[in-house]
Amino acid sequence: MTKSTIIKYVKAPLLKKETRSNLEEKVRQQTDELKVRSGQLRQGADREKLAEEQIHIRTKAMEAALDGIFIIEAVNQRFPIIYANPAFQKLTGFAKNEVIGQDYFLLYGADADLRVVDEIKHTIDQGQSFHGEMLNFKKNGKKFWSSLRITPIRDTKGSVTHYVGIQTDISLMKQRDLEIEEQREELLHVTRVGKLAEFVSSLAHEISQPLTAILAYTQAAQRLLKDKEPQLQEILQYIINDDLRAAEVIKRLRVLLKKTKPVFESIDTNALINETVTLIMPHINARNKIIKFELDSKIPLIEGDRIQLQQVLLNLISNSLEAMESSPESRELLIRTSLKNTNTIRVEVKDSGCGIPEENMKKLFSHFFTSKPDGLGMGLSISRSIVEAHGGRLEAENNPDRGATLYFTLPVARKENW
Amino acid sequence: MSEGKSIIYVVDDDESVCRALSLLLKSHGYRVETFTHAVSFLEYNHPKLPSCLVLDIRLPDINGLELQEKMIKQGINIPIIFITGYGDVSKTVKAIKSGAIDFFMKPFTAATLLDAIVLAIIESKARNKKQAQIAKIWRNIKTLSPKELEVFRLVTNGMLSKQIASKQGTALQTIKVHRGRVMQKMQAKTVTELIQFAQKAGLTSSLS
Repeated sequence: MTKSTIIKYVKAPLLKKETRSNLEEKVRQQTDELKVRSGQLRQGADREKLAEEQIHIRTKAMEAALDGIFIIEAVNQRFPIIYANPAFQKLTGFAKNEVIGQDYFLLYGADADLRVVDEIKHTIDQGQSFHGEMLNFKKNGKKFWSSLRITPIRDTKGSVTHYVGIQTDISLMKQRDLEIEEQREELLHVTRVGKLAEFVSSLAHEISQPLTAILAYTQAAQRLLKDKEPQLQEILQYIINDDLRAAEVIKRLRVLLKKTKPVFESIDTNALINETVTLIMPHINARNKIIKFELDSKIPLIEGDRIQLQQVLLNLISNSLEAMESSPESRELLIRTSLKNTNTIRVEVKDSGCGIPEENMKKLFSHFFTSKPDGLGMGLSISRSIVEAHGGRLEAENNPDRGATLYFTLPVARKENW
Repeated sequence: MSEGKSIIYVVDDDESVCRALSLLLKSHGYRVETFTHAVSFLEYNHPKLPSCLVLDIRLPDINGLELQEKMIKQGINIPIIFITGYGDVSKTVKAIKSGAIDFFMKPFTAATLLDAIVLAIIESKARNKKQAQIAKIWRNIKTLSPKELEVFRLVTNGMLSKQIASKQGTALQTIKVHRGRVMQKMQAKTVTELIQFAQKAGLTSSLS
């Protein structure tokens, strides 16, 4: 302790009592203030540390994400990229230094779909979110399908400062979708051609009836007028000639639309059902229906034309869906396979729809019979001819509770053939 | 005209086709009966005359091929000419295999149909003759006593009288008497003829 301090200390008791208490009060106040301030400082330091940690974790997360993440500046109309995570670099093929500071839209490449690019520009110009799929090009020009979401980031005042984008490579999914779409198209084509052929065949039959009658009437008249009325005889011959000409036209039409020969191969019916349901799944989902399976895994292979049998299945399933269309509480569709006997398998498509009125049961499989306002009345008749061409039977029955079951049988493949 | 006695049945759901074919065939001297339903044809009491059925393969009640099967079951033994407005090859093959005389696509000319009908009538006569023969054999068989029937069966299956006698433990003379009565009742001149009768009646394989 120094001399002066001692003096001060000694002097202190000499101060007025009033003054002394004031001073003590001040010191106490200052001490408290100091305590608070140092506490604040400590807290501030902790908070800063915490914030740093959080930023660090968030950055690490962005860097680790498998989806491409990027941030672009909104204030600058060039929309320069200020951040791009490694996944984005991998996705686009551009290195970090090739991306940062670049105009975002330059990255789409010259071959990008300009309409989509414009749509993105337009959406983010309005400060809205964009979500869409587009064909992108990597640095090396390689195409890929990308699912893209761009969302605005706003400051406290609500104005857009940045955009964050998330980009995913969906090429594989897209490829699968395309394949399914192609298969569906192919099947639709077959169905359309099949329907046309059936239509022409029915038309040919309808026309051949009166042609048969006309020909027989005329030839009967010719016979009755034998050796008489040469002028009438000549006219009758002209009628016959034209009748046969019309018959020839029908015959040519028939040859033209002759169905292509079915290609028979060994088929796993359960696998075929799964394949077919994949094709029609969007329709089932769109109608909010459920499809259930009871597939007997032990049923043997059958011999058949894959496309034609798919056509039958599609037809039965879409009929069932239509039968359940009107009632939202009818939702369940069941596909069941079983072994009817050692030589025959059975495939059922059971719905919980409106069922088949008894008076329609008999006509169900005839050409042009339909209960639908826009139906052609060809689906079930074609299906039946396909199943019969495979050596099976296609039948319908109403379920005891509700809805109907359409089922067909198919002969099991003969072992010696395989 | 000899065909005057023959009956041509036409089964087609189209009334005008029925009427036209009827007029055409009548103009050629045939007796014609037409039906728009297969069932009414089946219910018809078919006279025992040379006949032919002109049948549309697709009918509203049962199809032509099913009618063909039903006819076989009911013993209606009439040759069939199928006609169709559809180009159906597989059904043609099946129909011909099940004994149809011919198969025509509609429309067909009178000459085509008439030629086939002539063949069908010949076939029908042959079938009727065979049927009459078989009927006569069966009438004769029914006159045999149980003992005679046994002898008839054994003889027509190639057994000698001696073998039959020892098999049945009967005197040879008795068997010979039975055998003589069988020959007489069956109106057979020789054993060979007797065996032919048994074959026609479908009896020879039953014991062998």
